Amino acid sequence: MTHFDLFNLAPSVDLDVAALETQHRKLAMEWHPDRAGSDHHARRLAAEKSAALNDAIKVLKDPVRRAFYVLELKGVKLDSDQSAARVKMPMDFLEEIMEQREALDAVKATRKLDVAHVMAVKIRDARDKTLEQAQRALRRDDVPAATTALGRVRYYTRFLEEVDAFEEELLS
Amino acid sequence: MAYSDKVIEHFENPGNVGTLDKNDPNVGTGLVGAPACGDVMRLQLKISDDGVIQDAKFKTFGCGSAIASSSLVTEWVKGKSMDDAMKITNKDIALELSLPPVKIHCSVLAEDAIKAAIEDFRAKRAARVTPAVAAEVAKEA
Repeated sequence: MTHFDLFNLAPSVDLDVAALETQHRKLAMEWHPDRAGSDHHARRLAAEKSAALNDAIKVLKDPVRRAFYVLELKGVKLDSDQSAARVKMPMDFLEEIMEQREALDAVKATRKLDVAHVMAVKIRDARDKTLEQAQRALRRDDVPAATTALGRVRYYTRFLEEVDAFEEELLS
Repeated sequence: MAYSDKVIEHFENPGNVGTLDKNDPNVGTGLVGAPACGDVMRLQLKISDDGVIQDAKFKTFGCGSAIASSSLVTEWVKGKSMDDAMKITNKDIALELSLPPVKIHCSVLAEDAIKAAIEDFRAKRAARVTPAVAAEVAKEA
């Protein structure tokens, strides 16, 4: 059963998140372990269902994770496994990322958080645009294009996480 | 997940971090990345005209295993011939570092980086040799 199945939805990158959350609350209430009575089997089923609903909502309400998940349902698991490791990223993109990461390292050495923030704004914008590309590719079922686009999204996300970690390090 | 001692050792004291001049005709550069993790790895080899690897440098942005894998291969390839360096497989790397299955792709990346760097050097050399040969042929004609 997929995350979409739990909500009786067809797999899609397009989703009404507000409606999804309403439905999640309803289902979570229905399957709440406290309402399962004393029957051992019913309680276990409720616990499993609640856990599945929790996992599903986390993935589906986040547009980035949702796009990765739709791609996974189309057969490409861009996760920590070897098939994904063999997906080749375009060389010019890798050069761009290498440059950006080296520039961020230089900024970190000078401890200038404001400069890192300026960089993060640009990267976040690039990430959002690339996510839109991935969504368009997924809508027209273009798996190779979606794979490359989400690969790029993963790199941009790493960069943003790095800025967050730098910020935490400075503020702690 | 716990890293093995060897991964920690390479991660804490990575050898050969840095860059070589990518415009040097004897330097081959390999740039590879795995979207699985969002890792990017640059491996540079300085190779003598008779095909021996004299120096190796790397820069990797990624997890501990990716950094350890690249650090390890820079140590391994120094002094080796290009042909011997091409024989290093991800299995050798994963075994040496005791990488768990979920980190095997880091060793794959390091293997790919060696191959990409050597191919870059070979392409450069071919480009260097070809005009010379062409000039030679032109002279004889």
